Amino acid sequence: MNPPMKIAHTPYGSSAAAPPDARQDLLSVRNFQFFYGKKQALYDISMDIPEKRVTAFIGPSGCGKSTLLRNFNRMNELIDGVRTEGDILLQGHSIFSAEVEVIALRRAIGMVFQKSNPFPKSIYENVVYGLRISGRSSRAELDETVERSLRGAALWEEVKDRLHESALGLSGGQMQRLCIARAIANRPKVLLMDEPCSALDPIATAKVEELIHDLKNEFTIVIVTHNMQQATRCSDRTAFFYLGRLIEYDDTARIFSNPSQKQTEDYITGRFG
Amino acid sequence: MAESTRHILTDFDSALESLRTSVLMMASLTTRNLDNARRGLFERDEDWCNTAIADDEEIDALEIQVDRDGIEIMLRFHPYASDLRSVIAAMKMSVNLERVADQAVGIARRARKLNGRDPLPEVAGLEPLFKHASAMFQDAIRAYAENDPELARTLKPRDRELDEMNRDYANRITELMPKNPDLIHGYLELIFIARFLERIGDQSTNIAEDTVFAVIAEDIRHASPLSR
Repeated sequence: MNPPMKIAHTPYGSSAAAPPDARQDLLSVRNFQFFYGKKQALYDISMDIPEKRVTAFIGPSGCGKSTLLRNFNRMNELIDGVRTEGDILLQGHSIFSAEVEVIALRRAIGMVFQKSNPFPKSIYENVVYGLRISGRSSRAELDETVERSLRGAALWEEVKDRLHESALGLSGGQMQRLCIARAIANRPKVLLMDEPCSALDPIATAKVEELIHDLKNEFTIVIVTHNMQQATRCSDRTAFFYLGRLIEYDDTARIFSNPSQKQTEDYITGRFG
Repeated sequence: MAESTRHILTDFDSALESLRTSVLMMASLTTRNLDNARRGLFERDEDWCNTAIADDEEIDALEIQVDRDGIEIMLRFHPYASDLRSVIAAMKMSVNLERVADQAVGIARRARKLNGRDPLPEVAGLEPLFKHASAMFQDAIRAYAENDPELARTLKPRDRELDEMNRDYANRITELMPKNPDLIHGYLELIFIARFLERIGDQSTNIAEDTVFAVIAEDIRHASPLSR
């Protein structure tokens, strides 16, 4: 059995990290299968997700891409009757190991959803929510976290003068960036994004995409998107899923210029009937 | 590359088909112009020369059309993979077809000048070059029309042969110049025509390379002959 997973958070910006060219696989999926009751949603998925890179999951609705994403921080366990086989490793340690605390796992692997979901509280409280529920209340630490996270989410300049106003007064794009700030406040290793721009206008989308580009210096990002251009713009690696199977996983430039599988080609060129 | 499966968007299929048709139309008009220039030269017929020169306008108009259609496809349909490659290849191909047509015009112009003088027996020496260049051009077009990368790959070595033929011919003509100084103007026209034919070989090779890229996504430009 694997030793207990260590949720050691290296503060981002720290020089303790490996040099940028020495990227390793952070998340590894090994023969993973997933069932909703009797219905199998994922079949024998194996893949390695490199650290400090953006990996895009694409595929038609129902192909399993969001299901796999939600397994990375064990969110699917909230659904009755689910069952998994195989394994998912974070830095070599199984995320399903008995020693892993789900709360700690979700701090290490943060999630940003399709629809921004700020709490009906102030901007400040939204960002420090994770720290408060883990019992940290030092004012200095909270203040530092708010500024660092909002700067990290490219939102600080827009909201620094109204931190204690309701988050619900922000625009859609700002709310989504606030949710990203809330996710990175916990200093996760991995940031999962489930169609983070699908409800945003083109300008807000561009800001989030620019943010994704910056965030990959510090975080490993996995993004589910239906927008092919977004995948080509934002990601380094792309995985194409179809009917619960990983069909092809390669460098994004290759997937979109010369995929090796006909199913991938048919999907990205709009030939799927 | 994807088989001929249709796109979900039928307009996308129509636009790609129309782009391809324009390229093939350019190719067939260029073939015709090249043939007219050939007849003008070897049959010493000014009318064929004039026709080749005048008809170039149609090809220029099609080049602009292919560019416009290619840009519109990129804007409207955001092509990926084989679709993207085929649009890029079509746009590059139209540039090369237009250049081949320009060589035909160049040949026709030089032929017109030659036809205004006494016949030079050395014109016959251009026939093998013309035949070789025309065959290369035809095969480049056929490789594109039939999505045949193997046929396309034959172009590069054949281009080297044409280069050699051009060099030999130019040397032969240059040697004649001091012996017949009165004929130097005519000899220069012949050297120019051989050079135009040699360029047609280059442009046919470019077309073939674009075909290989479109069909199998392989970039064979500047590849060493030993690497295959």
